[in-house]
Amino acid sequence: MKFAYFHLMPYTESPEHTQDWPVPNKRFDPRTGEKLYNAYLDNMVYAEECGFDWVGCNEHHMSPFGMMSNPNLIGASLIQRTTRIKIAMVGNLIPLLNPLRVAEEYAMLDVLSGGRLVAGMFRGIPHEYVAYNMAPSESYGRLIEATQLIIKAWTEPEPFGWEGEYYQYRAVSIWPRPIQQPHPRIIMSGSSPRSAEIAGRFGAMFGIAQLKTFDDARNLIDIYRESAKAHGFDPKPEDVLVSLTLSLAEDADEAKETLTNGRRFFAEVLGGGLRTAQKLVLQKTRYYGDEMKGKFVDARKSAQISVDDLLDQGTILCGTPKMVVDQLKHVHAAMGHGVTNINMKVGNIPDETIYKGMDLFKDQVLPHVRDL
Amino acid sequence: MTFQEKEAKLSAGAVKYFVGGDGPPVLYLHSGGGVRLASKPINDWAESFKIFMPVTPGFDGTPFLDGVDSMQGLADLAGEFIDTVIGGPCDVIGYSFGGWTAAWLAVLHGGKIGQMVLEGPAGFRPDGAVGLASDPAEFVKQMYAHPEKIPEDGKPEETVAHNRKAMGHYHDASPMDKALVARLGEIETLTLILHGTEDGAIPEESPRLLKSLIPRSFLVYVYDAAHVMEIDQPERVSLLVRDFLTRAEGFLVNWGDEAAGLDAAAATA
Repeated sequence: MKFAYFHLMPYTESPEHTQDWPVPNKRFDPRTGEKLYNAYLDNMVYAEECGFDWVGCNEHHMSPFGMMSNPNLIGASLIQRTTRIKIAMVGNLIPLLNPLRVAEEYAMLDVLSGGRLVAGMFRGIPHEYVAYNMAPSESYGRLIEATQLIIKAWTEPEPFGWEGEYYQYRAVSIWPRPIQQPHPRIIMSGSSPRSAEIAGRFGAMFGIAQLKTFDDARNLIDIYRESAKAHGFDPKPEDVLVSLTLSLAEDADEAKETLTNGRRFFAEVLGGGLRTAQKLVLQKTRYYGDEMKGKFVDARKSAQISVDDLLDQGTILCGTPKMVVDQLKHVHAAMGHGVTNINMKVGNIPDETIYKGMDLFKDQVLPHVRDL
Repeated sequence: MTFQEKEAKLSAGAVKYFVGGDGPPVLYLHSGGGVRLASKPINDWAESFKIFMPVTPGFDGTPFLDGVDSMQGLADLAGEFIDTVIGGPCDVIGYSFGGWTAAWLAVLHGGKIGQMVLEGPAGFRPDGAVGLASDPAEFVKQMYAHPEKIPEDGKPEETVAHNRKAMGHYHDASPMDKALVARLGEIETLTLILHGTEDGAIPEESPRLLKSLIPRSFLVYVYDAAHVMEIDQPERVSLLVRDFLTRAEGFLVNWGDEAAGLDAAAATA
């Protein structure tokens, strides 16, 4: 089993509740932001020392939910301070961006890191489409075409043009080209059956970004595997990533209380404005097609589920090292995945608490789950 | 657009051809499927160019001509057609089998052509690449990304089969024309190479090889199109070719709204 250390880089120093979208940036203090960026970078670099295989960056816009509006900048910084760990962009939100810029920046990261890039091609969550004024109905079409174009930009030795539905270029030959050949490993997320099908079509790694229920995740993984096989790719366990929240402490009640407080801050402070935009997108567009209504109800319900309920479902990691080892084995037995993506910075959980949890993970969890 | 059917008297014999449109002359060399007068791109181009479409001898019910039995022979015939019918140098569009002929035309008679477009040209398939499927369903998958767009009033099956067989009259079915490849570097014609991203008949190595060997060439991938790109993505093919023939190297530049004004100026010049 390989492990990824994921960080949202939330802005935690402005604890007001809000439902506004976008969240007014008068609440962002740049000097505080400077301290947070550096503290978070230190923490992400520490993941390498703790035995994590990947460190994960991601893209979000216009809210305290996450400060990585361009995760590639954070990735470039991490590259300078690490030597072994893979730099996982999970991911750039491809439909919102210029695909050639993504191809170039990913190639730069791969060359800068000596071939350590994991290249995420993500569709993003609904509110990002409001932020960048992109039609949600075009999200799948843009994701598919842009991903194909990015792969072409990485692999085509001759200058070429592209005449597409969403993208037209007459002269492409990116510098640099990536180190990894034929191109960096691609990962795509799958929160819907269609996303799972697309990930399989590209022979990409498949990431379950939020483990809701085992049945739901298994269904998506099955769709991914079938699609991949139909396109000539037979996925192995290491091609499937499952994301889990982790709260780890010597005392189980302490771990639970920490996570409960962090989730509350996340739901009430970090996610308020985001939910407003998401509601607009899901109610007014066909972002999820026929699954739209169900997705919206699920999102609202998930904020109300307690840590105890999540523990009963087995969809969260929380407790002492021994408990977490058992929980990880349980999830692995159910999912058969090869990469676990771990998020410890939930809401405003203090960094000191997270460092303690990372040390426990390194010393008392990892040795017992590495060979899963 | 109405195309007139005519006949050219060439030294090897009579060649049937269609002509339509108004503007600078363009020679269109058809694919192994034969002439498709209903092709949307061809009709679009005819609004800006005078399109000449000779029927390759042996295709669409026409007889073969004595002494014209090779790709070079077809190129010579096309060169004579330009001299005799068009009356001077012209741009050339060659599609698939016609692209193969066009490439020979550029090698043997480069002075007769201005700019050249090769749409999914045949004749450059690397050794070991998958050939055309004999299974009809698989063949359709190789040729079309959007089979639902295949015109219902297409040619009779018998004609299609006869046309496919007619290609064998001009080459020995070898996937790679090595004699032509050896001479691609001699082509001085400004060339646009088009390839469908879903082309199941011609592998990507083919256009890549052409791009690397033809000195003044551009390669453009037509997204979500297979081999029959004029049917899969007619608007994209139409726009690209028209832009290239109108602006030459300038087609690389996004002219934005300025393009519309310049087009109008060119049309009235």
